[in-house]
Amino acid sequence: MNTKKKSGEKTDKAVWLFLLPAGIIYLSVIVVPVFYSFFISLFKWNGIGEKVFVGLENYMKLIKGDKVFYTAVRNNLIWIVLTIFVTMTVSLGFALILNKSFKGRTFFRGFFYFPCVIAPIAVAIIWRWIYNPTFGFINDFFEAIGSEFSQTWISDAKVSLYAVFAASLWQAIGQPMLLFLAGLQGISADILEAATIDGANGAKKFFFVTVPLLKETFVIVIATLIIAAMKVFDVVQGLTGGGPGDATQMLSTYMYSQVFQYNNVGYGTAIACVMVLMMMLVIIPYISITAKED
Amino acid sequence: MKARKVKALLLAAVMVMSTALMGCGGSEGQENGTDNQETAEEDAGKEETAKGDASEGEEEGDVVEVSYWALSTQQDYYEPVVEAFHEENKNIKVNISYYDTDGMKDACKVAASSDTLPNMWFNFGGSLGGFYVDNGLTYNLNDYAEANGWSEHFNENALALCTYDGVISGYPNGYSILGVFYRKDLFEQCGVEVPATFEEFEEVCDTLKANGITPMYAGGLNGWHVMRYVELLIEHYAGADAHDQMNTFDKSYDDENVTKAFEKYKEWVDKGYFPDGFVTMDANDTLMPLSTGECAMTMEGQWQDSNIVKNGLDMDQYGAFAFPSGGSNRLSSFADMTQFNAKNTEEELDACVTFLDYYFSHVLDYTDSYGLPMPTLDSPMPEGQPNVGNLIKLGQENGTFTITDQAFPTEVADVLFNCQDAIANGEMEPAQAGAEIQAAIEAYNNK
Repeated sequence: MNTKKKSGEKTDKAVWLFLLPAGIIYLSVIVVPVFYSFFISLFKWNGIGEKVFVGLENYMKLIKGDKVFYTAVRNNLIWIVLTIFVTMTVSLGFALILNKSFKGRTFFRGFFYFPCVIAPIAVAIIWRWIYNPTFGFINDFFEAIGSEFSQTWISDAKVSLYAVFAASLWQAIGQPMLLFLAGLQGISADILEAATIDGANGAKKFFFVTVPLLKETFVIVIATLIIAAMKVFDVVQGLTGGGPGDATQMLSTYMYSQVFQYNNVGYGTAIACVMVLMMMLVIIPYISITAKED
Repeated sequence: MKARKVKALLLAAVMVMSTALMGCGGSEGQENGTDNQETAEEDAGKEETAKGDASEGEEEGDVVEVSYWALSTQQDYYEPVVEAFHEENKNIKVNISYYDTDGMKDACKVAASSDTLPNMWFNFGGSLGGFYVDNGLTYNLNDYAEANGWSEHFNENALALCTYDGVISGYPNGYSILGVFYRKDLFEQCGVEVPATFEEFEEVCDTLKANGITPMYAGGLNGWHVMRYVELLIEHYAGADAHDQMNTFDKSYDDENVTKAFEKYKEWVDKGYFPDGFVTMDANDTLMPLSTGECAMTMEGQWQDSNIVKNGLDMDQYGAFAFPSGGSNRLSSFADMTQFNAKNTEEELDACVTFLDYYFSHVLDYTDSYGLPMPTLDSPMPEGQPNVGNLIKLGQENGTFTITDQAFPTEVADVLFNCQDAIANGEMEPAQAGAEIQAAIEAYNNK
């Protein structure tokens, strides 16, 4: 008994010892900067000069009178909804298809995952050309099939956000598709076969067998998609820079402008803190509820 | 079980916080994870090493090592010159890192807030360079300039654009004058000539449009290219003096002439004088629609000639003229420069200036496409690039004004850009723009 306890203590110490290097790095490059960011958000500061303590004034200014901030919040929320309903559905659809056995499956798995490895800024450049109203592929395509339909896409404030989302979708489906594919491969063929024997058709098998068994995958996919949606930056910055006007402004692009272009470091950091708060408001109840169900 | 739930929640919280807030750590913080910023961080490290090495070198009395952040568009020009410079100057080592225009702005801001600026860096004049001067980060070059006769060496206007409140704060790199670049053959084909008045300019646009050619290219993605048209419309309606006063914030932008300028801009948009969707088109693509004949004119600086040469286009097809805004038809201009770290030692400053002097006196030995003229009094004009000399001459004869995005701080310029977009898309009345810009100016002044 004593030997066991001693051995357990030894293991515990070894675990902490092995965790120490990673812990130090994690603390110094993540945890401390996170808290330091909150600290900065309480100051008026241009990034170089003296910091002037303003308490919660940056937050009050954001909440009380910043129209662009509200536009950015609305856009981020729309992006989250689109991400959950469109990105997740499309990636699940691809995963279901690619989970089936057919000739060329490996090729198509790589083919649909491929956009995921392209840098988002490159995606933005590619799609800027696709959307170009004069030389772009989409308008040219409609012209080629004899349609008079023509759209200015990212230049039209009413559709620009959705156009940017469509561009990002092309790249965003790879990662969740891979997770779903892994989840699907973890489902035993015996269970599906048993459901078939019990008379379940394809739809029933999907909704009553596959989906419940993919629950853990859904948790991680939804959580990562929401986080990605809240901090979406590159593709927006590259395609529209938050424009036209502020039509595609996101919290991240607005934060970037405030910190790096306008030198309002305190104010920009306050935007980042609000982003975190918003993510926590969504993610923590979500994880909490799903953990409770387990 | 409960412990597992708590762990799961904690992990979720940490994941959220770390992904979102990591980039915003102020002086140590990096923001958007672009390659450029990663490079900036690496270079900051290199910078420290370089400084350390330089100090060691100085102690040994042999090599002064300096770091330089230059524009990536000039990398081809710098590389052979640096090699030759090192051959001839064994006691100086110049380490150059390259950034694109926006990457340079970000890298410098990050480096400034973490005290890791290089010994010298490229910057634009006006408000962009002024930020570093206002915060005491740049070397005061007055004594150095006087001792080395800069007033007899550099173009007066170029030197003036690098001077802030009487302090010379940068080594002039370039001096640009902007005019209307046009396709001569398209003008001929449509039977129009270079317009001498504003009314004639509009007639030319009408004729081009009637012939299926979009009169002007504008790349509005970052706002500043469209701004080049808007500022000339303000110059036209308000006149030179009032325009200058507005840009120095001595006169309100909430002015009927600003409204008239935006009304005209909206009229041009509605008439299709600019390409469909121009508000998010790239300003770097100005040459393509001209070369294909989709558009007949664009607003560019004299550097456009070197782009025409580089792209193997027929220079005879391209001409440039001053926009007929009225009065003396002033042209907009801007400067770019190299700024020096205020913490440079005298040896480091000498090494930096020695290198730049060498670069500007030798770069033409290595390339035919350098964007001349240089900001020096005896600058040669490039062969086979007739619009360069033409625009420089027009600038001297007609006079110039500082381009708006260098006259304005960035946050005010961005409001102007947003007004341009909103008016073009019919989301704002032209009459509202002046008040919006003035409000941004007042907010900036009260910061």
